[in-house]
Order: sequence, then C-alpha cells, then structure tokens
Amino acid sequence: MKVTGKIRVAVAAISLVYILIPLIVTIPASFTSASYPSFPPHGFSLQWYAKLLERPEFVEAFWNSVKFAFLAAFFSVLLGTLGGIAIAKYDIPGKSYLVSLLTSPLTVPQLVLGIALLIYFTPMLLAGTPTGFLIAHIVICVPYVIRFVLTGLSGFDYTLERAAAILGASPITVFWRVTLPLIRPAILSGALFSFLTSFDNVTVSLFMVSSDMRTLPLEIFSNMQDAYSPIVASVSSVVILISVVLILILEKIHGVGRLLGSAH
Amino acid sequence: MEPVRHDGRQEITALQSQPAVARKRRNWKKYLYAVLLLLPLLLFTIGFFVVPMLYILYLSFIDTEGLGGANAVYSIGNYVRFFTDPYYLHSLWLTIKVSLYTVIVSLLLGYPVALTMAKCSPRVRGLLALLVASPLLISIVVRNFGWYLLLLPNGTVNQLVSGLGITHSPLKLLFSEAGVVIGLSNAYLPFMILSIATSLYNIDPSLEKAGAILGASPFRSFVSITLPLSLPGIVSGIVLVFSMSMSAYVTPALMGGANVPMLPVVAYDQIIHLLRWTYGSAVSYVLLGITLASVTIFTRIMERGRYREVFR
Repeated sequence: MKVTGKIRVAVAAISLVYILIPLIVTIPASFTSASYPSFPPHGFSLQWYAKLLERPEFVEAFWNSVKFAFLAAFFSVLLGTLGGIAIAKYDIPGKSYLVSLLTSPLTVPQLVLGIALLIYFTPMLLAGTPTGFLIAHIVICVPYVIRFVLTGLSGFDYTLERAAAILGASPITVFWRVTLPLIRPAILSGALFSFLTSFDNVTVSLFMVSSDMRTLPLEIFSNMQDAYSPIVASVSSVVILISVVLILILEKIHGVGRLLGSAH
Repeated sequence: MEPVRHDGRQEITALQSQPAVARKRRNWKKYLYAVLLLLPLLLFTIGFFVVPMLYILYLSFIDTEGLGGANAVYSIGNYVRFFTDPYYLHSLWLTIKVSLYTVIVSLLLGYPVALTMAKCSPRVRGLLALLVASPLLISIVVRNFGWYLLLLPNGTVNQLVSGLGITHSPLKLLFSEAGVVIGLSNAYLPFMILSIATSLYNIDPSLEKAGAILGASPFRSFVSITLPLSLPGIVSGIVLVFSMSMSAYVTPALMGGANVPMLPVVAYDQIIHLLRWTYGSAVSYVLLGITLASVTIFTRIMERGRYREVFR
C-alpha cells in the first residue's frame, strides 16, 4: 500500500463516519440530564425516556406506526408476491413493460406521489382516512416486493414444480409446498423491507395524515419544527433501535448491501 | 412402449405429443392463472398510481382553482406562470444548485469508499456494505435530528470550531444551503457508493495487472483503467443522487427551513397551506419534467463521449 492507498482508506473512513455520525450522536444525547439536547450530553439521566412514556401522542404514534407498517407489509407482500410469481413464471407478452409499469412508483418522487394521492383521494373521501394512508404506503412498498420476488425467482428451477405436479400435487399444494418455501427468503426480505419503508416514511405520509392518525416519524418531524427538546432524542433513539434490530434480521436473511444495491 | 419416467423433459415430450386442442386448452388455463395472480396488483397500480398521476397532469392544465367541471378553463397558464415568476425561478435554480453540490460532495466522499469495498476481502466488503446501506433504512427525520445536534449554533461542530479558535462567531450551518447539502449528501451518499462499487466489482482484475506489467504506476492505472471502466457506476450514481436531491422534501424542510425554499418545499406549501391544487399539480410536473430532462441529457452526453464503449 502506497501513499495513494493510505489517502483512499483515510477518505473512506471519513465518509463512513460521515454516513453514521447523525445516528451515533443521537443515542448518547437522549441520556442528557439537561433540558436541551446536546452532544456530548450533560450528565446522565433516563428522564427523557420516562417523559416519553408520559406523552400519549408519542405512545399512540408508536402504535400507529407499528400497525400501519404491519398492514402495509402484509398487503404489499400479498399483492407483490402473487404478481411477481405470475410475471416470472408465465410467458406474458410485454413482460418488461409490465415490470416497468409495476415498479414505476419508485421512479416518481414521493412528494409528487403524495400530492397526486391527496388530490385524487379528496373527492373519493379517502383523504385523511386510515384506508387512504394504508393505500399510499402500499403504493410505495409493493414495487420493492416485486423486485425481490423477481430476483428470488430468477434462478428458480421450475422442474421442481413440474415434478410435484406429475407426482399428483394440485396447483395449490405445489404453491404451498414447493414454490413458496423456495422463495421464502425473498418474501421475508420484501416483508421486512416494506415494514421499514412504511415505518420510516414521512414524505407521502405528510399528505395522508389527519390529527388523529400520526406516526412516529411524523411526530418527530413536527416536534423538530416546533420545539427542540431532548424528548426528540429519546424517541429518535427508539426508532434507531427498532430499525437496527430489523436491519440485522434482514442482513441475516439476504444481505442489506446486496438488497439495496439491487433495489435501486 | 417406453416406461414413463417422471422428469421434466419427459413431460415436455408428452405435452408436445398431445393433440393441439388439448395443448391449447392447457395454455389457456395457464394464462388464466397468470391473469388471476396479476390482476389485483395491476388494478392496484393502475387505480392508485397511474390514474392519480394522470389526474394531476390533467388538473395542471386547468387555469381556475377548482377541480375542473363546467367552469374550468384549460390552458398552459400554470406552466407559463411558473416560468415567468422570479420567485419560482429562483426556487428552481436553488434546487438545481443544491442538488449539484450534493452530487459533488457524494461523489468525492463516495468514490474512495467504493474503491475500498472493491479492493478488500469479501468479508470486510459485506461489513462495509452493511454499514453503508443500513442508514438508508432508518428514518430520514432521525438522521436530520442527529445533524441538528451537530450543526446548531451551539452544537458540536461549532463548539469544536470555536474551541480550536478557528472562528469567533458561530458558523451558520443549519437553516442554510450548507445545511441542506450536508443533510442530502448524508442521506444519498450510500446510493452513490453502492452504484460505483457495483461497477468496480465488474472490472477484470487482470486489466490492472496487465497495466502494471506494462509499467503503469498505480495512479496511472487508476486514471486510465479503473476510472473509465467505473464510469457507468459513476453516471448512475450521479443520476440517482441528483434526481433524489431535486425532489427531496423532508431534508430541505428541516435543514433549510424558510431560508432555503427549494421547489419541493414550495410545492408542499402550494398544496397544503394555500390549497392551490391546480398550480401545485403543475409545479409537481415541472419538477418531474426538469429532473427527467436533466438526467436524460446528462446520460446522453456521457454515453456519446470518449468512453462510449464502456457503456455497452
């Protein structure tokens, strides 16, 4: 390794710190005993976590986030897996156009999507309803599921399905006993990825909310614009912790780097 | 008669020897399954994506504030207004400028990481990929909050800078263009790294070896072998980061606030606060159109240039 190599590794290390530092500083800042958030924190206390539990809007927003993310992941996986299997398996005319159509919600900015859905939902009386919120989240999650399923099926050995059919299995048995177990990692990745995408979403959600339906990132967003309290550090730390756990599971199943490299 | 073997090939021959009518019925049934599996997804995408997008395109050509109907006046008035109003033009210019800075910062910080990932062992590479990619799955508001801690007038960076005696008055980092560039480049740097790394993985290592044998210094072989061959990754990284920066809402709103009125922030205000839906729809399509146009032009220029062959 020559001088150029050393410079490269040094810059790479700086970049990694740059990527991770906003997450690294947030967690210690949440344990501050002062009334304002700072890094390094002043003193140590758990008061901001205690205060977090006393604030019903945060607790409620947390459960809303979990609920919507779970439902969004469920429906995205349902729609995306069935559709993805159909695309991968059958010789559908115009297949590549179909895939680009179905994954096109990814190429449109979320801001524009949010505007479009708000305007479209208002006369349908879906704006500001849980249903409208959920539909918007499924729109963003489903293209990822399709991609994961298509990637998962790309090396799929269809003779296994045929073998099962010849041995007398009905199409539904073939699906449950052969196809599904073989693409389970892709489906699980799609589900986890959808959960995180929905759980973390702000831009589209901002257009879909009503006063009684806030999610955790939205609560953080409005708190950051109005007040600047260590409670935001503690709620952010909770979000980081949940996300990191799910990311580690995702990494075990599929590899996060590979997933995101292929997803975009 | 041959005994029937239960394998795929046997079944294909069996299928082919069936009378045409039966085969046709089987194909028809196959398509039925395909249609049944696809239909919910297709209807969902058309109903909740294609139609809403077309609907706001239609609305953007209505001059009145309403949603069409008998009194609607159709014209390109909204678009004309956008491109003649200095406020919106300034906002557009600001958006392009901030996005370009973001691209430059992510390219400079990202390339060395991608190169390191390409050169290290698969194990370290996996770890680096995890560290680089996982922040993408953590909410952007949380990452922006971290930057608040660092960039506020009495935040970590200013304490460090004044502690070292570099400046006397605190630097204006937050609620400025610099803050937005920091926030956006932090958010999109992983995309730049992953797309450059992907193209670096595909470079045949024997090319560099050949360069070394022919007497090229490591720097020379980087400039004339590695860099040109990684151009497709650089281009796709630039395109990704630029288009995402152009249309980001949360980071400009939090890190720039009212001081940095980028186009998405302006569009949000039109829709949510001023309820000017037809004009807001037009602003959305301007944003979409300009992003697509600049990305297309940039990609064309790169593909036409000296390195045409590497894009094959």
